[in-house]
Amino acid sequence: MINNLILMNGYGIFVWSSFVITFLVCGIFYYKTRKTLKKYEKEFAKEIENLSAEQKKIVLENSKIASKILSAYNKTI
Amino acid sequence: MFNFFHNSNIFIWIEKLINFINSIFFVLLLVALSFALIFSPPDYLQGDSVRIMYVHVPAAWIGLASFTAIAFLSIINFIFKIKNLTLIAKSIAPIGLLFTCVAIVTGSIWGKPTWGTFWAWDARITSMVILAIFYLLFILTHKFLLEKSKANNVSSLIAIVGLINIPIVKYSVEWWATLHQPASIKISGTSSIHSSMLMPLLLMFFVLILYCALIFLMKYKTEIIRIKKKNLKRI
Repeated sequence: MINNLILMNGYGIFVWSSFVITFLVCGIFYYKTRKTLKKYEKEFAKEIENLSAEQKKIVLENSKIASKILSAYNKTI
Repeated sequence: MFNFFHNSNIFIWIEKLINFINSIFFVLLLVALSFALIFSPPDYLQGDSVRIMYVHVPAAWIGLASFTAIAFLSIINFIFKIKNLTLIAKSIAPIGLLFTCVAIVTGSIWGKPTWGTFWAWDARITSMVILAIFYLLFILTHKFLLEKSKANNVSSLIAIVGLINIPIVKYSVEWWATLHQPASIKISGTSSIHSSMLMPLLLMFFVLILYCALIFLMKYKTEIIRIKKKNLKRI
């Protein structure tokens, strides 16, 4: 049964290469997109951290996104 | 109602959706792969090589649908100048390019056992390559044109011109004598595909749509953060 699944009556090389290429490319693309997102989140949180206490307070009061990213970043470190 | 469309609310919903998709994705992927590779029957003519259809066809559908969406968003953006639409189009484009390329490559692999060749300058294949070029131009415009409004206008124009290619891709198999087979699945009219193959195909399409949604949400979130980061001093 395993042999049949791998060889697929001689079409195995075509079928498996199609599936492997598709999911490998999708996996790499997912990893790169996630990495970019995390990089931006980290940079944004660091910029907020570097603001003066007063500026930081204003930013966090006015931007839900900023406070959400900062709290998520603080949880990870 | 309009409060819901505020960036911060969208941002919170994006996070929730990303977590939800992440939690169900791998289970659905395993089920779809089991059907595509094990439980679905081989074709009476093409044998097991027909299983390539389960990645090739959904990839082609997504490639075509993404560009159509980008083109319509560009038309609306051209008229109403809505900033969010540009962000959405920019986030969809890399996904569309990825799946157009996957459709071309898997189609080429499928071509070898079916047609006896990896490549032919057939009308369907050529129009898909042209689609990939339009995607590439759209993405490169945003990358290399530094002036935002100019980049938006040029990329919108590319998307609108590229829209002409979509019906060409779709109907190329009917307009010209091609190696590529005509569509087996029709929205209006009876499909010639058996339900034992249609079910795994739709399942795999659903899984890839979920993957697209996941990538789109992450890209859109990145774009929102990029804008917020730029405007940090103004907050």
